[in-house]
Amino acid sequence: MAARERALTSQIAKIEEESGAKAIGVALHDAETGLELHYKADRWFHAASTIKVPILLGVFAAIDRGDLLPHSRVHVRNRFLSVVEGVPFRVESGRDANSAVHNAIGKMMRVDELAYHMITTSSNLATNLLLGVIGPDSVNRTLKELDVDDGIELKRGVEDELAFDKGISNMVTADGLLRILVLLSEGKAFSPALSRRMMDILHGQEFNQGIPARLPKGARVAHKTGEISTVAHDAGVIYLPKRKPYVLVILTEWPPEGTGRSRTIATISHTIYEFLTQGPLDE
Amino acid sequence: MSSSAVFAGDAGHESPNFPLRVVDGLTLPPEYRKALRPGEEWKDATGRGRQLPRYFYEVPSWDSAMKIELASHFLLWEFIQVDVREAPPLRTFPRYVPCAITLLAVCLERFREAVGTMVHISANGGYRSPSHRFSKNATLHSWGTAANIYRIGDTFLDNRSAIERFSLIARETLPGIWTRPYGAPSGFAEDHLHLDLGYVLSVPRDVKS
Repeated sequence: MAARERALTSQIAKIEEESGAKAIGVALHDAETGLELHYKADRWFHAASTIKVPILLGVFAAIDRGDLLPHSRVHVRNRFLSVVEGVPFRVESGRDANSAVHNAIGKMMRVDELAYHMITTSSNLATNLLLGVIGPDSVNRTLKELDVDDGIELKRGVEDELAFDKGISNMVTADGLLRILVLLSEGKAFSPALSRRMMDILHGQEFNQGIPARLPKGARVAHKTGEISTVAHDAGVIYLPKRKPYVLVILTEWPPEGTGRSRTIATISHTIYEFLTQGPLDE
Repeated sequence: MSSSAVFAGDAGHESPNFPLRVVDGLTLPPEYRKALRPGEEWKDATGRGRQLPRYFYEVPSWDSAMKIELASHFLLWEFIQVDVREAPPLRTFPRYVPCAITLLAVCLERFREAVGTMVHISANGGYRSPSHRFSKNATLHSWGTAANIYRIGDTFLDNRSAIERFSLIARETLPGIWTRPYGAPSGFAEDHLHLDLGYVLSVPRDVKS
């Protein structure tokens, strides 16, 4: 590892130490310089809502196959079956950031609308509806076909509390999410056009307290956050003027009472931004 | 329109104000016959064979479905909303809906009068074909005689109290109607009111066979 990368790694370790987080994993791929950084990037974390990125990939795989169209209609119904004994459960409306999908219960929404809500406002209802149409097995097959299955474990929909209590959760590593985002940013997921459509959806992200928070105004970030009581994540592609983008995944795990989660992610993001744009760091 | 056998209109005096043609499902192109399974037997949950509808109204377009009244407060489109789980040929027009759908509409109109407000049929909750991914065990939805109602007025039927209250009104208002009991297991409903008329086959009077 070059001195510069060692310095960056030290800085991230210092942020981790001072943050109060139980663990932090970071993966970076810079298309401009070819730099890669993997800080505890093979450690598994509860995926929280970052699992919606692989699911998005699965939805577009179905579109690519012709099984779905972007305007295919899906019945909006708030009733799902747990992977544990098929027990029914619902998605609490208060857990979704906007009410658009819940307001459509009984009606239909288009696949592209649901995908948009799944990512931009992290709608759990939209996520489970889409997963209900395509199925987790289909998403996992897609990940394998694209050779990005390492570091991603999709086992169920979201808010399956019974499964959570039994320790059945979706898991990711920073490297796993990084591979998917690199594929998307390079336009290699199915086709450049479909990759671009997925990136457009990720650009619509409305939760910007993590990676984008301390970046300059000219930065555009296509990303997906994820947060539950014990984890806070952000994973995205950062576009800066006059340079190729970089892909950054920051996964963090916390004690339930832990604070400063978004600030920690924003600090790591800012540190990496400075590293990539402002020359060497002090060792 | 398909080249299938058409009845209403041939007779000239049948339902002059009802614009839909009646089609013998057995004369439809193979992809429709495969999806609709006209006249075929389908086993219900108890293993008893039930004969699927053979005669259908042909719905030429979504525009027409939006305009055609099956009852004063129910338009045809409300009965044919299906999602991506429906067989592909049945997601485009012309669409086919069993002739018994008009009986269901009349019953729902009577139910609407009893509850005094709007009755909303859910997507996939009116007619859906036996090939729909949600259709199993000779579901009455494939006879066009069942409706899943998810909202009545401003009340969402997603809890025991609401479902049982409106279920009782339905049973008191519509002799012979069946409503699915509240609950989570298969055969129950906990996020809508299911009501149906049973395995009714409607054969228009100008059909010869």
